[in-house]
Amino acid sequence: MTNPLRVGLRQERVIAPQCLVIFGASGDLTHRKLVPALFELFRQRRLPSEFALLGCARRPWSDEEFRQKMAEAMETSVNENRAAWEQFSAGMFYEPVDLQQPEDLVKLGHRLDEIDRTRATRSNRTFYLSVSPKFYGSGCRSLADAGLLKDPQRSRVVIEKPFGRDYGSAQNLNRVVQSCGQENQIFRIDHYLGKETVQNIMVLRFANTIFEPIWNRNYISSVQITAAETVGVEERAGYYETSGALRDMVQNHLTQMLAITAMETPGRFDPEAIRSEKAKVLQAARLADENEPWNCCIRGQYGPGGTQDSPLPGYRQEHGVDANSTTETYVAMKLFIDNWRWQGVPFYVRTGKRLPKRLSEVVLTFREAPVHLFDAAGGGPTANQLVLRIQPDEGAEFRFEVKSPGSGMRSRPVEMEFSYDESFGEPSDEGYVRLLADAMLGDPTLFTRSDEVEAAWRLYTPLLELIEDSPWQLPIHPYESRTWGPAASDALLARDGLLWRRP
Amino acid sequence: MSPQLTLQTPLELPPSEVPGYLEQLWSRDQPNNVGAHTFCLLIWQPAWVEQQLVRTGRLDGPITGVQRSQLIAAGRQSVVDGDLPISTPPLTEAVATCLGQMDGGHTSEDLRGQHVDAALSNLRPRRLITLAPSLDSEQPLETLVAAYCPLPEEGGGTVACGDVVVLRGGKPALQEGLAILDPLLPEELPAWVWWNGALDEAPELLQQLASSPRRLILDSALGEPGFCLNLLASRIEAGQAVNDLNWLRLGSWHQTLAMVFDPPHRRDALGHVVQLDIDVEGDHPVQGLLLGSWIADRLGWELQHTQRNPDQSISANFKRTDGADVQMRVSPVPMGQPSIHPGQIVGLRLICKPDNQPPICVILCAESGGCMRLEAGGMASMELIEEVVPVQHSPVEADVSRQLEGGHDSTNPLLAAAAPLAAKLIS
Repeated sequence: MTNPLRVGLRQERVIAPQCLVIFGASGDLTHRKLVPALFELFRQRRLPSEFALLGCARRPWSDEEFRQKMAEAMETSVNENRAAWEQFSAGMFYEPVDLQQPEDLVKLGHRLDEIDRTRATRSNRTFYLSVSPKFYGSGCRSLADAGLLKDPQRSRVVIEKPFGRDYGSAQNLNRVVQSCGQENQIFRIDHYLGKETVQNIMVLRFANTIFEPIWNRNYISSVQITAAETVGVEERAGYYETSGALRDMVQNHLTQMLAITAMETPGRFDPEAIRSEKAKVLQAARLADENEPWNCCIRGQYGPGGTQDSPLPGYRQEHGVDANSTTETYVAMKLFIDNWRWQGVPFYVRTGKRLPKRLSEVVLTFREAPVHLFDAAGGGPTANQLVLRIQPDEGAEFRFEVKSPGSGMRSRPVEMEFSYDESFGEPSDEGYVRLLADAMLGDPTLFTRSDEVEAAWRLYTPLLELIEDSPWQLPIHPYESRTWGPAASDALLARDGLLWRRP
Repeated sequence: MSPQLTLQTPLELPPSEVPGYLEQLWSRDQPNNVGAHTFCLLIWQPAWVEQQLVRTGRLDGPITGVQRSQLIAAGRQSVVDGDLPISTPPLTEAVATCLGQMDGGHTSEDLRGQHVDAALSNLRPRRLITLAPSLDSEQPLETLVAAYCPLPEEGGGTVACGDVVVLRGGKPALQEGLAILDPLLPEELPAWVWWNGALDEAPELLQQLASSPRRLILDSALGEPGFCLNLLASRIEAGQAVNDLNWLRLGSWHQTLAMVFDPPHRRDALGHVVQLDIDVEGDHPVQGLLLGSWIADRLGWELQHTQRNPDQSISANFKRTDGADVQMRVSPVPMGQPSIHPGQIVGLRLICKPDNQPPICVILCAESGGCMRLEAGGMASMELIEEVVPVQHSPVEADVSRQLEGGHDSTNPLLAAAAPLAAKLIS
């Protein structure tokens, strides 16, 4: 049962009239994520009436064809909300554009002027580059050359991940992009930041007095950040073979979770203040052993697994994957952050495909009590743990010791739980809904700034160089599908007398 | 943000020459003059209290129509000086009428329409047309025109991107000037009408100005309550996009009440409401009725009977979807320091009696006051849930700006459902 008093009620900031231009409109992301997110915003009345969506790609579609393709791709949602779709799709247009052709950009400019006139979109434009990463730089340049980015108050560019392939290419791309517009016009998207629970880490830390005083090296002994997927490479082999887990997950999503968990308190809730703190903490982060990275990083690749009835292929047997591929599908590593708050506290980060569960979480393990006064059910008392569950079953739990009932004074761990479902009972918006709304609002809080991106790439440079120059020093450890990664990953923590949390 | 003045001194023109002048200003043969392709805003800006306060020497000019703090303070003082009930909000018709009986001949510059609040100017309206009625009903029509643009450091360019038109004079003179309005509101741009006065002070004029498809911004806290609700309901029924600032100010009440029932284990109680009490400031029940109607609509209650009681409260009986009765009562309470907006809600009590569970009593209380009246009355055996509701303090210009910024060409469906029911409750 939904909360009838919650229906139609939104305390949202107001998106100004505008035209959202999607380059790569014929691509997968547009019909799978972007248009559904916009339709959701429309149904929640968070889009103004003066809104237009202009799809752009090289295919010679008409407006009607574009609407039709999107409706087909979103069949269920469209059929359930036919009247709303008719209204929404009346504001959808299409223009064939090749970003490399200056005359196409001139044509685009005229089309946007026309849309401004017919839809009163007030010359506010958000350009979404859902194109191949190799066109990010040239795409921005084309927009700038066509004069479409000249008003920093009214035009913005959203750039999908990955932003660069390494530190050098990220720097180069930043240089190109920043020569096309001001930093506040550039929105580098990381859809993990659109997750309610990732944002909740900030609220948990900075809106409560009980956590921040103990959120440091004096009380926390280690931090684990996990993003586990059950799926394999699926249809993305072409991309994944060139990126691997390090570039696909660690450099962006996991590093953002690390930054939000470890950042200092911003002076105020302001996009630049928050992004500065995130950049600072990433600049202070380093691999646990930069000179011999193989001591602090484990790469793995899933092999065959599953059951006799439903066998799962190994990565090298997947369609489109090189039979001798050395692309990692699993990474575990140990990091340190050299600042007053975190000096000496290990941050363990892991991500992998074909693991037993789909989940993302941050686990903060607190130091043990200095003296053990009581017998514990498990031998010694269990360290307090705060688990921030990002997905699924979003929420948080805190583990602490209590007295076991009965005579004597034995302790045992129990958990105190907070669940989004139980407290709010409503599903959160999909990450793209939040991020698209923020981009159109011009709010960059949940987007990564140039210095953050560069700091994140720089953090992993020793690993990337090693993989490039002498990959045998960072070997690929095979692991069976639907297991928790290679044994070497467990050994990484075992050396510190720790275990990965088994969720 | 401080209000901004127009960049150039407004030019006084005969009314008949205004459309031609503006057409020339934006004509295509002057390539540097590109008008913002945004929206037009037509404002009814009587500022009666401000005019009277200036006339009686209780407030320094100029007259701007903007709700500044000195104006509110002078209005409050006038309530005391005029021996009005202490619950009288400081900027209402009662205060203007009281001031109108006082002597005074002070004059001041009248900058209504030329003094644009930054919350509005930041949206770069293409055209702001202000109708500024004067206290002196004999005053002839004056028409002022000026090009206008946000300052370059605020993101504006160096070229004019909008214009302001001010029609000033006595009400009869303004009525004559209306003939020039239609050509000044181009069809291709969304047009909004902000009625910044009591809804019943000039119904025919309101009818003339706010014809569909123009989008209407009004404040149902201003004017005779029954008239306000009937107007709201009839406009919505006619399909016009209506934005009610009084409804907008209900936002934190909506949110807080919804929040109480967000945890799934409490939701069942919503099907077992037996009593709803709402306390409002002074004698203007519209906001309370809108909130009560919203709850009734969301929970599917059917109105059975309504009546006005001797203590000026309004009570109503509803049938729930399961056929059980619900009592609702909206009661006026006197306030020592009333809000500038008449009839703001100060407290809400919702009593639910779920089967086989202890009854639940939800009390929401405005942060500006206490809820002792609602807390009284034998609720010791109930599960008590109390929340404090934050009071919104945003200036009216900021509220209007929010409506203009995320413009909709239809009425918020929740308001569209609540307003007709609220109108029935007061009838």
